Amino acid sequence: MIDFAITRRGVVLGLAAASTLPRVALGQGTPRRGGTLKISHTTRIATLNVLQLSGPAEYPAVDMIYSGLTRMGADLRPMPDLAESWEGANEARSFTFRLRPGVTFHDGAPCEAEDVVATFKGILDPATASPARSVLSMIADVVAVDPLTVRFDLNISYADFPTSVGHANARIVPRAAWTRPIEELNTQPNGTGPFRVETYDSARLLRLVRNENYFIAGQPYLDAVEMYLFPDLAAEASNFLSGAVDVMLEVQQAEFARIAAAPGVSALRVPSGRFINVVMRQDQPPFDDVRVRKALAMAVDRQLLVDIVLEGLGRPAYDNPIAPEYRYQIETPEIPYDPAAARALLSEAGHPDGLKITLVASNRPAIRGQVAIAIKEMARAAGFEIEVESMPHDTYLSNVWMKGNFYMGYWGMQPTEDGAFTLLFTSDAAFQDTEWKNAEFDALVARGRSTLDEAERAQLYGQAQELILRDTPYLIPFFQDVLTAYREGVVGWGVHPLSRTFYVEQVWLDRA
Amino acid sequence: MRELLRHPPGIAGAVLLALVAVAVLLGPWLAPYDPQAFHPAARLQGPSAAYWLGTDQFGRDLFSRLMHGARATILFGLGATLIGVAAGALIGVTAGVTGGWVDSLIMRILDGLLAVPDLLFALLIVTVLGGGVQQAMLAVAVAFTPGMARIARAAVLSIRTREYVLAAIARGESAAWIIGREVLPNAVGPIIVEATIRVAFAIMIGATLGFLGLGAQPPSTEWGLMVAEARQFMFRNPFVVAVPGVAIAIAAMGFNLFGDALRDILDPRRRR
Amino acid sequence: MTPAYLLRRLGAIVVVLVIVSLTVFGITMVLPGNAAVMILGEWATPEQLAALEERLGLDRPVWAQYFDWVGGILAGDWGTSLRLQLPVAQVVGDAIANSALLAVTALVAVTLVAIPLGMLAAIRRGTGADLGIGLVAYVGTAMPEFVTATLLLVFLAGPSVALFPAGGFVAPGESVAGFLAHVALPAGTLALVMTAHIARQVRSEMTDVLGSDYVRAARLKGLREWTVIRRHALPNSLAPAVAVISLDVGYLLGGIIVVEEIFAWPGLGRLLIYALENRDLPVIQAITLVLALVYALSNLLSDLVIAALDPRVRYA
Repeated sequence: MIDFAITRRGVVLGLAAASTLPRVALGQGTPRRGGTLKISHTTRIATLNVLQLSGPAEYPAVDMIYSGLTRMGADLRPMPDLAESWEGANEARSFTFRLRPGVTFHDGAPCEAEDVVATFKGILDPATASPARSVLSMIADVVAVDPLTVRFDLNISYADFPTSVGHANARIVPRAAWTRPIEELNTQPNGTGPFRVETYDSARLLRLVRNENYFIAGQPYLDAVEMYLFPDLAAEASNFLSGAVDVMLEVQQAEFARIAAAPGVSALRVPSGRFINVVMRQDQPPFDDVRVRKALAMAVDRQLLVDIVLEGLGRPAYDNPIAPEYRYQIETPEIPYDPAAARALLSEAGHPDGLKITLVASNRPAIRGQVAIAIKEMARAAGFEIEVESMPHDTYLSNVWMKGNFYMGYWGMQPTEDGAFTLLFTSDAAFQDTEWKNAEFDALVARGRSTLDEAERAQLYGQAQELILRDTPYLIPFFQDVLTAYREGVVGWGVHPLSRTFYVEQVWLDRA
Repeated sequence: MRELLRHPPGIAGAVLLALVAVAVLLGPWLAPYDPQAFHPAARLQGPSAAYWLGTDQFGRDLFSRLMHGARATILFGLGATLIGVAAGALIGVTAGVTGGWVDSLIMRILDGLLAVPDLLFALLIVTVLGGGVQQAMLAVAVAFTPGMARIARAAVLSIRTREYVLAAIARGESAAWIIGREVLPNAVGPIIVEATIRVAFAIMIGATLGFLGLGAQPPSTEWGLMVAEARQFMFRNPFVVAVPGVAIAIAAMGFNLFGDALRDILDPRRRR
Repeated sequence: MTPAYLLRRLGAIVVVLVIVSLTVFGITMVLPGNAAVMILGEWATPEQLAALEERLGLDRPVWAQYFDWVGGILAGDWGTSLRLQLPVAQVVGDAIANSALLAVTALVAVTLVAIPLGMLAAIRRGTGADLGIGLVAYVGTAMPEFVTATLLLVFLAGPSVALFPAGGFVAPGESVAGFLAHVALPAGTLALVMTAHIARQVRSEMTDVLGSDYVRAARLKGLREWTVIRRHALPNSLAPAVAVISLDVGYLLGGIIVVEEIFAWPGLGRLLIYALENRDLPVIQAITLVLALVYALSNLLSDLVIAALDPRVRYA
């Protein structure tokens, strides 16, 4: 077993006497069985197809219904799930996973190596259109060694592979699913998770009930979980505060203080590496000149952004995509807000009279536009005359995203450094939208992913970050906390910086 | 005009519209601050000497935003209605004057389009056009066109058999001349009444599209968008919602009251 | 009213639906983006996009898609929602039932409130009651639904008040009390605006009737004022009220869009917004057709009711 020594980074910035880590919170007495947990959310659970979904409320649903080989722990370390143990061989080019015996799907069929093989082969088929495919593209072959052993052979050395197989969309579906129209998974999921579906109406309610045959004895504690859709944020908050539901999956920054102050309610903030990034396309003026990018970086008051847009619920970032929650973040120098220096640099870059440019923001989520408008106001003092163009998300996706030269991106945290780099930064990144392509950086990232030695890895990833800091491919002004809230009597509810795993089987209700 | 002054709702409407007109014409000069300027130290404040109507989530002065937004809001309503009325009148008058199969065809199509509720129609069109304030204006205009066409046609039909039109036809005047000189001036009354009331509708649909993210876009100071953006903050400072909300209501009421008064005055049956 | 008249009206409705279907089809075909882009969102790679487009049938020619759609509808198959991967008939069918519950509740509330209010205003013309009703009516029509809904949310469902749930849906089959509690605010929002329209209309019709010669004659006969109102004024002003109510069905079908979104009511309006955002063309098309049909039928129904109420009206 490859053991990557990982320091615990789940620092709690607890505002309302609460803990980030649900597992830690289990100290509060003996879990009680029974009860129904009601959760409200604002985005639709449009599908329960674990291989394809990508909605914020769909992740907790499938985390309850399905299990993967591994599951992300709160400390970004892969935890055993269906796999009891695993080991790497051949310089991380081959991984063998040992499955838990006696696990069954909700329909009673056994969950064995063949199901794992079928699932991963299905994900690798482009026709399945699974978001997990690009993360698992290093898989050359997957074989069932025996009913409880699966071996993956990789094209490259990939040390983080046990994390990759824990991808939210790479949870194990029964082999029989592939012999039927795969669309059946949309509404009739069949997993090995702690809960199974009882009622699913995407317009309103998902009701899950306890899987009596869950592979961890005694869990889940809850009889049932109900997820209610509230498309309007104001209505959702009122509904939660009136006591109609137990958990508000995601709390808006604007409402956080009010909800935290309400009686009988705990609000929880979890630091995360999720960020807004200002995309500056570098194969064309004006952002082909690094001085223009640096000037803009100095023209943004990051602390003020955190204060007024995030209501203080986040941390300033200084253009490094690697947040402190990752394993190998390097010390990142602060970039002070200095409009005069920014103006001078802009002038030096050939824009003595300032720079007039349009910054595009999608209206979903609203924070993109809010940051854009704030940047416009701050950068004005530095000679940037920014016009903000907000547009509906669909128009943005069709016309601007991956095409425009100056727009607002928004990304969730990735499980590993490699995930973060290959998402946006390497030359062949899945969403390379800046044309910042650097062979040296690519080589560092490639070496980092195949290196098992902790110290060497830290050094390689450190050098990669130095290159990002040198060239400022994106302006990354802050890291945004993940916010949630729950009522008194709910024990063990928590969210993860990645918002992909929720461990609801460990939640219980302490109510008379 | 003198009649209007003897009609109490008409007076009320005129007063409200006068208020709105002042904001539209002089708003930018009356605003004490740049409507986009942040005042981070004064976020979400209630009314004060410095900020007459309070501030929003970025500390922007609500009064200044309201004054600047009057143009965006009212011109949206007027613009959408004008385009809708122009297109509708053209279609309706053409149908009414031409008659025969052209009239039947146009009426069938209009019936079809009228069966789609205004907001739904506007939503469909603005989604096609891609959202944004001009797109929303055009969408509302298109949604209004069938209704206006119907009213224009009805007005023309009631005039078509009057002596002065028959006389013009007998004189052998061209269709364009008849429409321009005889029919339109006489059909204009009901169209104006309907248009005035429609402005209020247009303002409200525009605001609703803004709420749904398809109309005016941030950082516009359009009033509907101001309400939509502020809803998240309404528990911390109710003025962020109340100020633009009341402004919309004043404008819409102004146009409604004024339109009703015009109708009463122009419609002799209702005169008492 | 003759059967031939009824047939003609129904024929006209079919023509209307054909025109609506062509219009909606035309509109949906030029929508930017497509369902595949919206489903995969920012996680899409071009390769995944192409695969999903093929799976959803979005790569086929426009006309092939259209004829499949029309042919399907004629055969009773409304197609499959691109986003939800469920039969459109099922998705839209559930939503229709929920919206109908909301709309009917709102209409009943309006009828019970608006007509008496309008009558009161007409009878007490020029008094404080008349002015008050008039003022409320004007304010009601001058507020977009999302503002009204927000105000109701703050004042009647806020945490300190909590008179009503802040949204959500309980089927009347599950619990009648639960249904009524949840329907109160959304139906109230819709009813407020419609009450304003209808009360004004009733007031104006009633005023006309009360000033008419036959009412004056009835009064001269020495009938009591209440008898005059009940026997003469009310029946004669009800027909126009029905006409306005049917016009307001058109308003209602637009109003549900916003109200359902705010109050988490799982009906057609919210489904429509969701479908538009996700470019779910079969769902958009189906909803538009359904709304147009409902509107056309409500117009026909109102004409029939008016004919029954008002002996002067005859359709042939």
